[in-house]
Amino acid sequence: MSMTQQQADGAIPVMALDRIVLMANQIGDFFAPYPPERRAEGIRNHLRTYWDPRMREELLALIEQGGGAGLAPHVMEGAKLLREETHAKPGYYGPPKA
Amino acid sequence: MPNPLKPEKSVVTTCAYCGVGCGFKAETRGGKIVRMTPWKEGKANHGHSCIKGRFAYDYYNAPDRVRTPLIRASIDDPWTPVSWDEAFAYAAKEFKRIQAKYGVKSVGAVSSSRCTNEEIFLTQKFARAVLGNNNIDNCARICHSPTQFGLTNTVGAGAASQHFDSILQADVIMVVGANPTEGHPVFGSLMKRRIRQGAKLIVIDPRKTETVESAHCKADVHLAIRPGTNVAILDSIAHVVVREKLYNEEFVRARCEVNEFENWKALVGSDNYAPEVIGPLAGVDPDDIRKAARIYASGPNSAIYYGLGVTEHSQGSTGVMCLGNLGLSCGMLGREGVGVNPLRGQGNVQGGSCLGSWPHVFSGYRFVTDYETRSSFEAEWGVPLDAEPGLRLPNMLDAAVAGSFKGMYIMGEDPVQSDPNQHHVIAAMRNMECVVLHDLFLNETSKYAHIFFPGSSSLEKDGTFTNAERRVSRVRKVIEPLAGLEDWQITVKLMNAMGYNVNYTSAGEVLDEIARLSPNYRGISFALVDRIGSAQWPCNEDAPEGTEVLHREKFPRANGLGTFMLTEYVPTAERTNDKYPLLLTTGRILSQYNVGTQTRRTPNSMWHSEDVLEINEQDSISRGVKDGDWVKVSSRFGEIEVRARISERVNPGVVYTTFHHAKSKANAVTSDLSDWATNCPEYKVTAVDVVRTNGPAADAARDAATPRIAEMEPAE
Amino acid sequence: MWSEIRGLKDDVDYGTPPRDGAPVTLEIDGVTVTVPAGSSLMLAAASAGRPIPKLCATDMLEAFGSCRVCLVEIEGRGGFPASCTTLVAEGMKVKTQSETLSRLRKGVLELYLSDFPESEIADGWSEFHDTLKAEGVASHPYGAGGFNHFEAPVDASNPYFLFDPAKCIVCSRCVRACAEVQGTFAITIAGRSFDSKVVASQDQPFFESECVSCGACVQACPSHALVEKSLFEGEYVHAESAEA
Repeated sequence: MSMTQQQADGAIPVMALDRIVLMANQIGDFFAPYPPERRAEGIRNHLRTYWDPRMREELLALIEQGGGAGLAPHVMEGAKLLREETHAKPGYYGPPKA
Repeated sequence: MPNPLKPEKSVVTTCAYCGVGCGFKAETRGGKIVRMTPWKEGKANHGHSCIKGRFAYDYYNAPDRVRTPLIRASIDDPWTPVSWDEAFAYAAKEFKRIQAKYGVKSVGAVSSSRCTNEEIFLTQKFARAVLGNNNIDNCARICHSPTQFGLTNTVGAGAASQHFDSILQADVIMVVGANPTEGHPVFGSLMKRRIRQGAKLIVIDPRKTETVESAHCKADVHLAIRPGTNVAILDSIAHVVVREKLYNEEFVRARCEVNEFENWKALVGSDNYAPEVIGPLAGVDPDDIRKAARIYASGPNSAIYYGLGVTEHSQGSTGVMCLGNLGLSCGMLGREGVGVNPLRGQGNVQGGSCLGSWPHVFSGYRFVTDYETRSSFEAEWGVPLDAEPGLRLPNMLDAAVAGSFKGMYIMGEDPVQSDPNQHHVIAAMRNMECVVLHDLFLNETSKYAHIFFPGSSSLEKDGTFTNAERRVSRVRKVIEPLAGLEDWQITVKLMNAMGYNVNYTSAGEVLDEIARLSPNYRGISFALVDRIGSAQWPCNEDAPEGTEVLHREKFPRANGLGTFMLTEYVPTAERTNDKYPLLLTTGRILSQYNVGTQTRRTPNSMWHSEDVLEINEQDSISRGVKDGDWVKVSSRFGEIEVRARISERVNPGVVYTTFHHAKSKANAVTSDLSDWATNCPEYKVTAVDVVRTNGPAADAARDAATPRIAEMEPAE
Repeated sequence: MWSEIRGLKDDVDYGTPPRDGAPVTLEIDGVTVTVPAGSSLMLAAASAGRPIPKLCATDMLEAFGSCRVCLVEIEGRGGFPASCTTLVAEGMKVKTQSETLSRLRKGVLELYLSDFPESEIADGWSEFHDTLKAEGVASHPYGAGGFNHFEAPVDASNPYFLFDPAKCIVCSRCVRACAEVQGTFAITIAGRSFDSKVVASQDQPFFESECVSCGACVQACPSHALVEKSLFEGEYVHAESAEA
């Protein structure tokens, strides 16, 4: 069965955490060949542009409260950039910029 | 035979089936459709047709067509026929109740690529402006979402670069993961015409399809790859292009981001992608990889056509990027006879993509996170809009299983039959409190629906379709809607019932709103399409009658340059092992269409009455399976029973089936893996085993116990 | 470019595919007309509003020259060339109507009619019927009882269209449509002379042949020998319910 993660406020998570981890790692696999900074930005901006904010929060909660179990290290790096806006490339299509 | 009866009237309209979008004349006699004949001025078909559009139209009048709205409190209850007003009021009450209880984001909507542009646009308007969230998706999610993502990231536009006729200027035709002679027959005929004139043909497909070899057409190279190795093989072709310096340096320097080209060269040019490495992995001769690369790069005009064999993978978007990279590197974009072109499965997949039925973009592929775009929609619609992306269809289902998603408006879709990992989809459906299904028939999903809106077929309504070559054509009402309302009217009335006041006197007014809000459609109107027959977007001040070939001068990216993505091959997690030693891949056949909702009701089923499993003789012998035997196909996700057909079309280790019949439940076995970028399901690769059986097991008691319509009465 | 497919018009049949060549000017029945090089006289005549009667020609297919109905006279040339297979030339003067041409056409049409079911002549609406009417042919002088194909069995194996050999004039339009337009090559002409007949694959029922039921042959047939079943009462199988 799917892992579920009880959120701090007791609300139902938007979806099962193992789906979130799987999807995030797949995104990480794509951006892996890019140099570190571009890789992290690519992951960040993909999550920012395509993921429902509740999915992003679930991912960040896993990283910030759970140590990011199951996530590739570079996926965590990219996801952490979601907490700030300096790496935002809004409305951009193409290879990750840095 | 006596002389036939002469039709009395004729209306020019657009076919409801595949993405070719043929023009037809629907001929009537006594108010009934008696014939569909191909329209000679149809710019996608030039007077030609296929078995589906030409003959399989009578489904519209099938006895089990639902002609009155239905509701029920629980999916275990029988349906109760009600008036339209009652159905709208009930749906509105339920959506409001759920949103009050579980939050604004606990509901969403899905539109279909069989719907018109106007309906698709209205469905996203319903989600964004009325439900107040961005939980809106469409069925391109499960077929061509990687096309939008992969092409936009390389060439800047997630659409075919060419018009169909362009193929008559091609010297080399490369077909990847597509079978046009079955899936897009009228385009397939045009392709064959060009091959008979001497164009070379490269086919990349695990299966020896009809496209590989047929009368007077034979592929110069067929790379019969193992399912799931697309990216590896395309990178290997790129490797040969790079190492043998077959790329078009002049084009790349003038038209592309050179730095990214160099990065790409370093990646695909590495020894990892040498044909001698990739050939054994993909199950093809390294010399054939080199041959394919040399033929493609030498053109002089090489055109790529691809289908779901590229997109429906965990690396679907990467595969599309590979094609974009390849086209750019060899300079095969921006003129007649070249290009990178998706072949769209359903009539309006391109429209579905263009018109904002996505959780992250408005019509015209502009992000919901973008303030200016959002403001323009807020101004037109008069309500504040959600600034964050919503849930995609698979994520809505995931969220329904998790319990955070409770209601859905499904327009013209059958997720239970067509979405992957059927058990998961059913669990999601059962967990929802209000599923509103808007369709012609009580499909598989209807078993889990609470409200049913009887829709109108494309013969019963006005609107437009956008075909695979970006061509916007008219859908015209030939007969009155059997259930009383055109589909776009149903969505508008649902919006009204929810308290959102909007009114359109015709579908043309919806198109006018689309044109106001979407740059590529700015010049398109019923008046224009009626006057010139059809128009390919972009259609605007610069191109008042549309644009046939994209990217002639520059690419629609901020700096006008094409770019290269790094397309590292990442094998899918779906692997064969001792328990599941074969790879199952899926496809379609000429006479049937997708899940068969339309074609299974017509005599087309005489050609294909059931889905069968193609299996190579070697694999069949080792399993004691003879031609025509029943076999059980099992995967990590489920099992199905179908008959086996021993076939040389598939290599040892690969089995193939179609997914047209509900009873064979092909998606009970497909995996829950999906594309990394878009969640497009990986239908094309599932590890399975095949064993001989004595026949179909008595199926789930659920089917027998399914509540049917209690009684049918006409709507008020 | 691509005139052979893009130059087609819904309400006009030029008889042969439109072309893209340089303009050529000629005279048809005294009307000056300019058409692209490579066009047939038949196309030029249709463009000039002087359509020439035809049976084996249609503009979605390359010219074939078998029916001999489209004969014309060309100033300075002998004989009566078929307008479908004769290409335009600069300054050519063509006559599409004359007493001789009318007599020749009538003779040909009467021969076709001699092997066409008599009861189906009057109220038909196919191209063949229209041509008969236009040329004023309603009967033939050959009497009843000659060799004919009236009793040849109808092939109704395909659920959507039927083939009635009694109405077939063996013009090969179906054969060519299957090859040129669809690219399937499922239909051919078997036999010679009076015995020549349209067959699918190895003289099999259409449904059992390689035919993919695209309808191109039905669309091309000028005489309703290949025709949609939906145009007849009782021939057509209507859609059925499907299992949910």
